[in-house]
Formats: sequence, structure tokens, C-alpha cells
Amino acid sequence: MSIVDIDEKNLKHGVLGLVIALVEIIKDTLNLQAVKRMEGGSLTEEEMERLGEALMDLDTAIDEIKQEQGITESVKSVRDGLDDVVDDVIDQFLNPEKWRKAAESRGKSSHAAK
Amino acid sequence: MQQNDKTQLAIDKAEALLTGQGRYLYCVADSGERVSMGAIGIDGSKVYTIPYQDICAVVHECRAQPYNSTEGEMVNSWVLAHQKVVDEAWERWGTVLPLGFDTIVMDKDGVGAEGNVRNWLQNDYANLKSKMAKLRGKAEYGAQIFWETQVIAQNLIKTSPEISELEEEMKSQSKGIAYLYKQKLENALKRELEAKADQCFRDFYARIRKHVDNIVVEKTKPGDQNTQMIMNISCLLPRDKSTELGEELENINILEGFSVRFTGPWPPYSFVGT
Repeated sequence: MSIVDIDEKNLKHGVLGLVIALVEIIKDTLNLQAVKRMEGGSLTEEEMERLGEALMDLDTAIDEIKQEQGITESVKSVRDGLDDVVDDVIDQFLNPEKWRKAAESRGKSSHAAK
Repeated sequence: MQQNDKTQLAIDKAEALLTGQGRYLYCVADSGERVSMGAIGIDGSKVYTIPYQDICAVVHECRAQPYNSTEGEMVNSWVLAHQKVVDEAWERWGTVLPLGFDTIVMDKDGVGAEGNVRNWLQNDYANLKSKMAKLRGKAEYGAQIFWETQVIAQNLIKTSPEISELEEEMKSQSKGIAYLYKQKLENALKRELEAKADQCFRDFYARIRKHVDNIVVEKTKPGDQNTQMIMNISCLLPRDKSTELGEELENINILEGFSVRFTGPWPPYSFVGT
């Protein structure tokens, strides 16, 4: 399975798309952590304000880079690809039986001599 | 020149040997006829039946190797041809067990490919017959249910006390904190959307289940920004009972923010293994 579809003619876009996708994922994690801390009450008002602004600036910067470089689509495809991989892993984790059956029937239906 | 001719001859011979060593299988049909269906197969191959008692395999002669190509267009046309043959057999004989693309029987241990197909029909006869009995007179219908994420989200924001409260609180905050509230709100909305999708799935499943003999739940495909597929199912039901299912799906289709794609009748591809 190819996770990252890098167009050879446009390697720069591909790599940039990958990098920004990773930055986005890190940003999402930071956001989650920030919200958790806010809910947990371990931050002062001023800390919350600064944290919020920093995350907002990061958000804006990522959006600008995506716009300028025209990589919105390629970032999305990297993230969708990663989502699919995670989906498959979780699916296998939760339904090992189903997975085994699927693998068996795939083996059977493709060019097998009966 | 002569050398070239010889080489060509050798290639032709090898080709001739290779062709006919395999039989490409489309489906098993409810008929003991031996007929030719014409050049309707993959790459215009001649499709015919190999009968055993009152069932037959629909096949064409092929090389003993799978159809394989990196060209998507090529593969598409093969798969379409495969479907077309199964469709035709289905129209003709009413009941078929479709096989997956690229199912090829080869010659083995001195028995030709055609003999091997017949042996398979013979050895698996009881099983094939009982599967066919289950599918007789029935067809597969596909239903995909979508929702407009924006419309559903708007309704949730209106009805969820948690979310409207957050929205209210957010208004009075300074820029940075408001951003954190926005994140919190988005997370809450995401959770509510997932719960809603789950609830819709259960509700629709129960409503559809009443009208069909069997359901296979397929993976949903990713949508675009606004439309998301929340349910993708294949249903097996008697061919003359599709109106009721259609009406039930129409009831879902008219709900605000929802739409349904209803396709069929198809040969029962998804129910051969059940």
C-alpha cells in the first residue's frame, strides 16, 4: 500500500505536503493537550491566553503555507492515507477473525488453480 | 528474414500452447446447457459454458496466468467486461453465483483446465446447488446513505445544550482563550456527530432490515468537505420486492440533510460467500 503518493514531477510539493501534514497532526495533538489543561484548571488566565494565541498563529501559518504552495490537496491525501492505515490496524485489532477471512478469500479469488 | 520467420513461428507455437491452458471463470449458472455466448468476454474472448448435470460454469479460454496490468483504464475495462458477462448469464438463467475478477482454473496433474472446471463443479456440486437455492429469484441492491455534514452539525449545535453553552461562553473571552474554546467546541461537535452517525446507522439498519433477506455492511468511502457517506450496504431480496425497499429509502432520502443512492438489481456478488 502506498501511503504517500508523491508525484515524481513534483517532488517538492510531495515532500512539503508530507511535512505540513505531520505539522498539522502535531498541532492537533497540541490543541487537544491545551484544551485538556484548560479543563484541568492547571493554567492561569494569562497562560491560557498565550497558549491560545500561539496555537492560533500556528494555525494561520499552516493555512497560509498551504495556500501559497497550493498543497492543500496533497496534505489532505497524506492525512487520508494515514487515516486509512490506522483504520485498517484498528479493524484488525478489533476483528482478527474477519481479517483472516478476508485475507483467505482474497487469496482464493485471485488466480488460484482449483 | 528466414530467421525472423522461424522466431515468429516459435512464438506463435508457444502462444498457442499457452492459450487454452487456463479457463477464466465468470460465474456458475443454474443451467445444464452447453452454449456459446459469443465474443463478449474480457478483450473480446469467446465465452461459453462447461456443464455438469444441471449447472454450468461460464468461462473463456485463456492463458494460465492472471490478468494483470498497472494501467487503471485497462483493468477497468476488464472488470466491466467481467460484470457484463455475469449480467448476461444472470438475465439468461435467472440464478448465478458470480466469481471474483481473475479467477482462473489451470491444467494440473495431466488433467486439462476444462476437466478441472468440471471436476470442481462435480466435487462442489452439493454446496453450489445449496448456494444457488438460497439466491434463486433474488437480487442484490446497493444503498449508500450520505449526509450534509454542515446541515447536521447546525442542527446539533441548536439542540445540544453542551455545545450552545460553549458557544455562549466563547463570546465573552479574549482572543487566545476564545481559540481554545473553539477547539473545545469543535471536539464536542465531532463527538456529537459521531454519536449521531452511530444512532442513524442503527435506526436506518433496523428500518431497512425489515424489507430484505440479508444485509452486508460495506466500508464507507470518504466523501468531500460537505457530503459524507455514513452507511454503505448491500441488500439481498426477492427481485419483485424492491419497491418496498425503495420506498423505505425514499423516506430516508427526504429527511433534511440526508440523501440516498439506491442501485440495482445486480447479480448477488456480495452474497455468494454467505
